[in-house]
Formats: sequence, C-alpha cells, structure tokens
Amino acid sequence: MDGLKFVGQRVPKKDAPLKATGDAVYIQDLKVPGMLHGKILYSKYPHARIVKIDTAKALALPGVKAVLTGADVPNNFKFGFLKDNPPLKSGKVLSTRDEIAAVAAVSLEIAEEALDLIEVEYEELPGIFDPLTAMKEGSALIHEELKSNVLKLPWKFVHGDVEAAKKESAFIAEDTFSTQWVTHCCLGTSGCVATFDASNNLTVYSNTQIPSLAQNDFLEALKTFGLKKKRVRVIQAVIGGGFGSKLDTYAYEYIAILLALKTRKPVKIVFSREEEFLATSPRQCTITKISQGCDKDGRLTFREMEMVLDNGAYTSWGATTPSVMMVPISSLYKVPNIKYTAKCVYTNNTYCQAFRGYGNPQATFAIESCLDQLAEKAGIDPHEIRRINANEPGELTPQNFKITSCGMKDCIEEVVKRLDWKGKRGKADGRGVGMASLIHVGGAARVYKSDGCGTIIKVDDNGKVDVITGSSEIGQGSDTIIAQIVAEVLGVGVDDINIINNDTDVCPWDVGAHASRTTFVAGNSALGAAEKIRDQIMEIAAKTLGEPVEALEMKDGIIFSKNDKEKNIPFGKVLRKAHYSLGGRMLVAENFYDPPNENFDQTFRGNLSVTYAYGAHGVEVEVDKETGQVKILNYIAAHDVGKAINPMLLEGQIYGGGLQGIGYALGERMIYDKGYLKNGNFLDYKMPTVRDVPPVQAVIVESDEHAGPFGAKGIGEPGLVPTAPAIANAIYDAVGVRIKDLPITPEKILKALKEKAKQNG
Amino acid sequence: MKGYEYHKPQTVKEAIDLMEGLENAKYIAGGTDVMVLIRQKKLAPARLISLRNIGDLNYMETEGGLRIGSAVTYNTIAKNDFVQRRYSALADAVKKVGSLQIRNVATMGGNICNAAPSADTACPLLVLDASVIIAGKTGEREMSLDDFFLGPNKVALEKGEILKGFTMPAFGENTGSAYFKHTRRQAMDLPMLGVAARVTIDIGGSEVGCKDAFCTVDSISNILKRLEDENLVCEDVRIAMGVVAPRPIRARKAEEALKGKVISEKLFEEIGEIAASESQPRDSIRGEAWYRRDMVKVLTKRAILKAVDRVIRPDDTIWPDRLW
Repeated sequence: MDGLKFVGQRVPKKDAPLKATGDAVYIQDLKVPGMLHGKILYSKYPHARIVKIDTAKALALPGVKAVLTGADVPNNFKFGFLKDNPPLKSGKVLSTRDEIAAVAAVSLEIAEEALDLIEVEYEELPGIFDPLTAMKEGSALIHEELKSNVLKLPWKFVHGDVEAAKKESAFIAEDTFSTQWVTHCCLGTSGCVATFDASNNLTVYSNTQIPSLAQNDFLEALKTFGLKKKRVRVIQAVIGGGFGSKLDTYAYEYIAILLALKTRKPVKIVFSREEEFLATSPRQCTITKISQGCDKDGRLTFREMEMVLDNGAYTSWGATTPSVMMVPISSLYKVPNIKYTAKCVYTNNTYCQAFRGYGNPQATFAIESCLDQLAEKAGIDPHEIRRINANEPGELTPQNFKITSCGMKDCIEEVVKRLDWKGKRGKADGRGVGMASLIHVGGAARVYKSDGCGTIIKVDDNGKVDVITGSSEIGQGSDTIIAQIVAEVLGVGVDDINIINNDTDVCPWDVGAHASRTTFVAGNSALGAAEKIRDQIMEIAAKTLGEPVEALEMKDGIIFSKNDKEKNIPFGKVLRKAHYSLGGRMLVAENFYDPPNENFDQTFRGNLSVTYAYGAHGVEVEVDKETGQVKILNYIAAHDVGKAINPMLLEGQIYGGGLQGIGYALGERMIYDKGYLKNGNFLDYKMPTVRDVPPVQAVIVESDEHAGPFGAKGIGEPGLVPTAPAIANAIYDAVGVRIKDLPITPEKILKALKEKAKQNG
Repeated sequence: MKGYEYHKPQTVKEAIDLMEGLENAKYIAGGTDVMVLIRQKKLAPARLISLRNIGDLNYMETEGGLRIGSAVTYNTIAKNDFVQRRYSALADAVKKVGSLQIRNVATMGGNICNAAPSADTACPLLVLDASVIIAGKTGEREMSLDDFFLGPNKVALEKGEILKGFTMPAFGENTGSAYFKHTRRQAMDLPMLGVAARVTIDIGGSEVGCKDAFCTVDSISNILKRLEDENLVCEDVRIAMGVVAPRPIRARKAEEALKGKVISEKLFEEIGEIAASESQPRDSIRGEAWYRRDMVKVLTKRAILKAVDRVIRPDDTIWPDRLW
C-alpha cells in the first residue's frame, strides 16, 4: 500500500493540545445554569433488610431540594442486563454499593451534609461472599424471587469429543487457576448531568462509552416512569478513560434523572475517587478448572474448561463475558476438541462489568499457564508448542470463526528473537523468560443485533470537512484515526478535518466504544462516507474542468487532470461552485457500515468478528528469592494489527494495555472482606506508577487485513490479554514455582519457594 | 469538605500565641497528611496555622553534625550532597517518600509529628541518634527522638508546642548508614516495612581487600563470605524498624548481638533472626505478619551490609544492579 500520505503516519492526537492545556471540558468541569448537585447514600451492610429510612432531617436542611429513596422509584423500575437492579433499593440491600437514598442540593457540600442526616435502620442478614458457597444446594438466595443463585445463562460450548481425545492424548496437564477483581482506575471519574425541558424531554450529559445504547436505556426508563413518547439526547463530555467501565448504564445516571424530574432542575452527580472504586463495576473474578492434552509431537488434542464467575449482587452486560472468553477457549491455537462451561453466580459482592478484554484475560491466563505445564510434561520448549499449534490464515475454528489474516507465528517469532529466548531460557538462576499468545476479536464483535456505525460527512465552502461519526472518543484516539482515514481519501490535511462525535442529536447511530471495534467499524464507515463525498466532488470537478472523472486526481487540496496538469481546480472552489450555482447543492454524504459478522447461534457458533487480532508477549523477569519480588527486565509485546493507521497511537494502546496487564499480573486487586471494600483508594489499590514501567518494546506486525480500513484490525484490548500468563510463565522459568492465583504477589512467590525448598528437603 | 480559617504566622512565637488564642486550631506545614485527614473527615479543624513561612523552622546546618529545621521539605534534604554522603540512611528515606510533588511540600517535621508507624524518616533518624528541639511558650527543650514517640500518631508535644527541628551528631568516615523501604511499587507507596541501619566499623586504616565484592551482582551470602576474611569489627551499630510495632522501634537486642563482633555470614543470619523476634508485625490489607517478619530478617541484613558498603566504598555507593 504505497503512496499513503496520512495513513501510517505518527500523527499527534487531535485533542492533545486541549488536554495538555487543561481546556478540555470533562464532566467534572461541566456547569449547566441552575444546576443542583446530587449525592448518593450507599448501604452500610452487604446484606440487610431496611427497616426504616427517615429523610426528614435531610430534607429540612437549608439548600436541600429533594431526597429520594427506593419508594420514589416509579413502577418498580429496574435496569441492567437481566433487569434485576433498581436504581434505589428498598426492602433489602444486597451489597455495600447498594444505593438507598439520594439528595439534590444547591451545593455539593450541602448534599454531602444532608447524606449524614439520613437515618437508616437496618436488620443485618448473613451474606454470601463466595460463589462456590452460593452455588451449593440449599444455599440462601440472594434474589429471593429466583430459584437459584446461578444465573440462567447457559454458557456452554462443545466441539468434537473431549472424552475420546483425552484417552488418545500422550500428555495431559490439568490445574485450577483463579483471578481477582480489578478495577479500571479511569483518571476521569464517572458522572453525568441530567436535565428536562418543559416538555419533559431529557438531556443527559455523560461520559458513557455507549451513547446510542444509553439513549435507549434512558428512553426505556422514561417510559417506565410514565413519560411516554419523549426524546432523549445524550451529550458526551470529554471522557477521561473508559476501559469498559462506561459500557453499561449505572444507577447514578437513573438517580440523576429522577432527581432532575423531582426538582425540575438540572442535577449533576459526579463520583468521588472513593465512589469510583466502590460503585463502578470491576472485572469479574473467576475460578477456572482447565485440562489440555497433546499428542507425542506436541499437537494439541483437546481443551476442557469449567469456569465459575462471581457475578455479584446484580447483573450487567458483564455477565456475557463468557461469550468472549470462548474466543480464546475455542480458537487460541488449533484445538480439535473443546468443552467449556461457565456459571455466573450471584453473591453479596460488588457486581461486575466489562473491562478491556471482556473475559479474555481471565481465560487466557488459565490457557497459557496450563500450556506451559503441558509443554513441560511433553518435554517440549514452550515456544515450540506454540509454534506447532499456532493459528494460520484460512482456518475455520471450532466456533466457526473464519481466520482471514493471521500474524500469530510472526508475533511469536518476534518475541523469541527480541527476548533472546534460546539464550535465556531454562537457567533457573533467578532470571527467566516466559511467553503467551492471544487471539481477540479484531474486526468488531456482533454482540448486539447490530454492530454498525454511521458517518455523515459534509464539506463547507472553504474546503473544510466535518465528519460526524457515531463512534466515541474515550482517549484512545479514534478522532485522529478517523481524520487520517478521511484525509487520505480526500487528499486534504488532517487539520482540515473536524470530528463531531459527542451528541446523539447530531451523530448517527453506533453500538459503542467496545470490542476493539472503533478503528475497524467507525474507520470503515468513515472510509465509505469519504469515498462517497469524493465521488460527488469529482463529478462536479469533472464537469467544471471538462475532463472525465477517471482522469482526475485529488492531491494537497487540488483536483487536477492526470492528462493535463494545467487543468486543475482547488478543492474549495469546487465546493463553492456546487453551492453557489443556480439550483445549487450541498455536499453531504452518509454511510452506515455494519460489518459482515455473525451473532452466535444457540450452540455458540458463528463468525463473531470479521477478522481476529493476534499477538504474543514475551517477558524476562528477575525474582528476588529472599523477598519474592519480581522485576521485569524486558518486555516484548508483538501484535498483529493488520495495518498501523497511526503507529504512535497504536504503540500507546500497546504500552497502556501492557502496563494495565502488568498491574493485573503483579499487584492490582480489590480487597473485599465479607462484602466490604478495604482498599478503595490509590494508596492501597496498587496500580503501577510511572516508576514501575519496565522497558517495553511494542512490535507491530502488519498482516494487511483486506476487510479493514486500509488493512487495519482492532488493537484496543489485546495489549493486556496475554500479559499475566507471560509473566507467570517467566517466573516459573526463573525460580521453578508456578503461581496460579492472580495477582502474583511477593508473598505468594515466597510461600511457594519455601514449600518447594521443603519438598526438596 | 468544610471551610477553615488559614493563618500565616512569621515567627515561632507568633504561631504559639495564635494556637493559644484560637479554638479548634491545628498546625499545618506541608499539608500532605493534614489535608488528607480533613478530606477523610478524620479531622475537622476550624483554623489552620501554617508553619511554612517561619524562617526559624527552615534551616539546614552541617557543621559538627547535622541540624535540620522541621519545615524543611524532603526535596531540600534529598538534594543535599552532605546528607547523601554522611547521613545516607536519611537520604535513602527522603528520596522515596510519595512522589516528587509530595516531596516538594512535605516536611520532615510533619512526618515525625504525624507519628505513623510507617513514617519513612523515623527509622533513619533513630539510627542517626537524632534528638528533637521543641519550642513552647516558655522556651525550648530537647529530647531524644526515641523518647519523642509515644505511640501511634502520638508524640511528646504539649498543647501549643512546635517541633522546631532535629539535631544529629557528627559521625566519622568509618560510619555508614542505609534505609530500606519495602513497598509494592516504586513510588506513591507506604512501606510494608522499613529497616534502617548505621554501623561504625574498624577497617584498621588500610584498604579493604574485598572492595570488588560489592561491585558484583553476587548474592548477599557470597559477598559476606568474602568479607569474612577481612576481620571487619563492628564497633557500633543502630538498627531501627518501621511498621512492625505501634511506633518505629530500635532493634536493641540485634544491635547488642552485632556490636564488637567480626562481620560474618553466620552472624548476619543471627542478627536478622533476632531483629525479627523483636518485631511484632500485624496482618493488615497492606501485608501479612509472617511476610513482614520474614522481611525484617532480609532487610536487616541488607541494610547493615549496605551501610558497610558505604564505609568501604564511600565514593561509589551505587549498589549492583540487583533488586536489592
């Protein structure tokens, strides 16, 4: 793909000056005239009956405009994937993040003071904080109206005959792995402003990742509240990070809407950092039993996995993470026989949600750790077993994924080369190397009925281009990527392109910033729209210049004839001609791109994504045998990205994902003790700091995906998918102990080293 | 967060007088503890009296010892070459507190008056035999830092009194010190535990033959084996530990066991064990007791060895590129 002028360039992020100067208006900065401040009172206990709530004192406090409790939620409204979550709870509370009352006041300080004046009498109930206990026969029910604590979501995928394959396998490795709760740590905390006009049409200023779906959720809420046939407009403020945390609507948004409805004033609710830890939904913790086998040559014969997920007290879209876990489970490496079941279980813990990778990191941790165990049993180098079984272009996987472009082997070889794998492996001297691979959706993911994104392009008289896209900018750089794509097609500069992407009244529909889909789907959508508008412009230019369209070319804002360079016309002039001539026209094009991928059928088969992203991570660690501390000496992250539209932003995604993965592997965890969050702050929640960043090499492998815009695939999530198992494998190589429970803390390593020393006498 | 009055006295006397005349007032220096506590609603003072602009609290003198005013910030101390070379344990500590932004405003006086068991400068100051100067209505008094700590978040300050500064004696060329802060990450962290050590060793006036032992990435035990041939006698020693008791403490039994002895691997093992037996760590979300006790053993050895290294290689204090 030669001759590209904008695509493939290290174009700085379009919004970088705004953010660097502090001019960006985040939800925290947003002020709407007449705005009140809302605050939420959370439950004191993880499981209790609310005997009495007295809001009289709070209501009497000067400046307080409204106090709501569960009794004020109209018509038993509930939200969430299984509609099991009332925005304000009444009767019973099921977790410590349960919202039981809310205040709107003229200032934040008064709202906070009012919360302290609400008197709640509880009758504490015994809670269930462990999914295995909750699953037991006769266990008390979290939701009394249901028959079981196990969610009615039958996650099960079967392919081939695992039992037969077990008998024929030369080597089998099996073990149990577990993962912890981790939270997104968005630097911009969650928040919204809700406001009604005189006709009860609702506007929500939000930092959601899913403006169109949120609009729909809010419309449904209004209907339940008795406000039928109303309009909902969602306007996104500048978003300070998403990572999946804003992929669902939250109680606080409905509470702001209810408070606005009650007070007839705009109501703003913005989370404090402590609330962000407590009341947003983390990555689900999992317990995974895994068994994998291979023949005598190391070819994989089967993979069997059984997983239990702690769903928490309510159900968000996060309960569908097993569907994405199936991607690596069915299709990471060529495995002919697969069996997978997963159960999501209600407990009195925090409820879980989407987080970058959407279940894939948990599944890949088990698969890739266990693969090293299998390689050891079979006496094969971990690199070799990965090479032998690597996915290849043209494959149809057990879940009917059509593997198109696939740079997996190239990624693995990059890791081996750059890490000096052969020179460093197997020394067991405190230093070691490990690797792990990944597969993820790389060409969208048809989770919802539509996986599309719309784009409208209009050009003005001066040759400036407005691109109105459904996609959301959440810090990942989608505005820059889309501008580069459109610039490439139209031959105008990236700075001449204005991206409008934050208002459902203006922007076309999009399913949201998730599944690493924005570059692929919104990029393709913008590409199609740009081609349409280019054709319109060329048509007018052809008439003006008296040349056939085929003879014209557009470059640097000038349209000229390939036959006669003297025949040319500036871009802007064409536009003015179109506009100002008799019977003039505007130049507007729209394009809706819905990728040709498939929803799963009832057996969980279907080509979920148009293409798949691959990668391999390799890491060299040093383990301090006396303290158990791990130091990462070198980190290689090789990713098949199809084509790098913007290598700088792409590397940013890999560094960011990798570092989030390192936090996941080595330190981050939300400590819940019997339903209470013990470390809801940045002091005790050990997100890595800039001082903890090891040397990371982001290696870009380009496999040129024909379905992607200019050959590109998604890269939003893959960076943290194989990180934890790569590190766990490296630690095993360094000191011979395998930690199967994330995070891999110094304590766990030291304990394992001591046990190993005891066994060796 | 509720509002408060803010006072900016220019002298110690003015500050003390203000405190005497005002209800519900609190001294504030860098504010990195006080403001956090206010935000957490653990403190709700109506008035804050800032000690920042008081010149008498902002001194650093290096003749015949080291004297530091309580309002001196961490970064001021960290940048001081004399502290780095002669009071290395303190330099180790101040460089690792919080982040650069915190070190620009946080003061050593604040760290000590807050009296957290995890206070980073407490262990170094204890091993450097620091005493504190306290200013009050009727004048100044001096006491050892060890006596100044009364318990968790409690120090021997009477109402209205201000910790004016710290005084440390001069140490000879044959004295070295070090502080190890055990954390889960490299910045923005409290110690899971901290150990400081100061040793004075008799190197007999001659070059130590095994200088190069320290230049390797060898294990502690191998370095110690090579040191054993040198007959290095530990003339004086201080060991202090943080986070393993309600307040920062000296490991006096371990000190006794090392004093006057020839440095050896076996002795170091014993010292580590003794120090661990003197610690009473607890389980908390920040760390488990067994692990902390184990780390006392490890870090005590490492801190002493690093202090020895600083005597033997005064001009080359870059530790080998190992985790420790």
